[in-house]
Amino acid sequence: MTGIEARKEAASRTARLDAVFAALADPTRRAIIERLSRREARVTEVAEPFQMSLNAVSKHIRVLEASGVVERHRKGRDHILSINTRSLDEVDGWIGRTRRYWEERLDAMEGLLRELKKERKAGPRSGPRSGAKSRPKDRQHGS
Amino acid sequence: MARDEATGPIVQLRRRVKAGAEEIFDLWTKPELMARWMSPFPGAVACKASADLRPGGAFSLAMISGDSRRDVSGTYVQIDRPRKLVFTWMGPLTNNVNTLVTLELDPRGDETDLVLTHERLPTTAIVEGHTKGWGNILDHLAAMVAKGRHA
Repeated sequence: MTGIEARKEAASRTARLDAVFAALADPTRRAIIERLSRREARVTEVAEPFQMSLNAVSKHIRVLEASGVVERHRKGRDHILSINTRSLDEVDGWIGRTRRYWEERLDAMEGLLRELKKERKAGPRSGPRSGAKSRPKDRQHGS
Repeated sequence: MARDEATGPIVQLRRRVKAGAEEIFDLWTKPELMARWMSPFPGAVACKASADLRPGGAFSLAMISGDSRRDVSGTYVQIDRPRKLVFTWMGPLTNNVNTLVTLELDPRGDETDLVLTHERLPTTAIVEGHTKGWGNILDHLAAMVAKGRHA
């Protein structure tokens, strides 16, 4: 993949994610998703539990469709709604990546805290506060 | 559409750390210390950090390992040493979209309870300091989706 293609791919992924996030930010729409995650349903079934007009619920459904979270197909005269799990996978992916990233960073942070503690014990000459800038010659691990 | 009501999902980590809150806070805000742990590359890494520690001030991290390079940048939103640090974060992890990171440190004797929150927010929400969370809805959804798939 070229750099430009990679950037395009990242940009469209970002746009998709943003659309999904915006769609999920509303409590009514989250309730609709929860409903559909149990099983697919007709538009009228989805609208039933809400204290709002079918029209208002339809608006929310359209936002969910535009974001790609919900898909609509026809069975005879009925419009059936279902969840597009792939769109949620992307969001899930972002959350997983972010969590992993910070878990690793915090491990490294704790590692450095242990290292600094050792340095404080080992070298009263180059105490921690005296010269944090001139740390003892950058440690040069092999790889 | 409906951008004003959008809040992003939250990733939150909690840890009890064996160090004082001041020392931890400094690891996050002093460039010479940031450079020693913030790079995600294993092994030998050249990491340059800069930090203008004041609200609205910028920080940056440039991490280079072989021919891979990662740049992260952001702006400090709130600085309350040693208890709280809020900053925006933009880098490869966030597809170069602005996100918000909140570090909270709660001293517990010799140790510190650390809570790290990473939120994906529309920029307007960041500017307005509007950071209403929405819990673990996505974790919940992901779990349901996974279950459905195995069924």
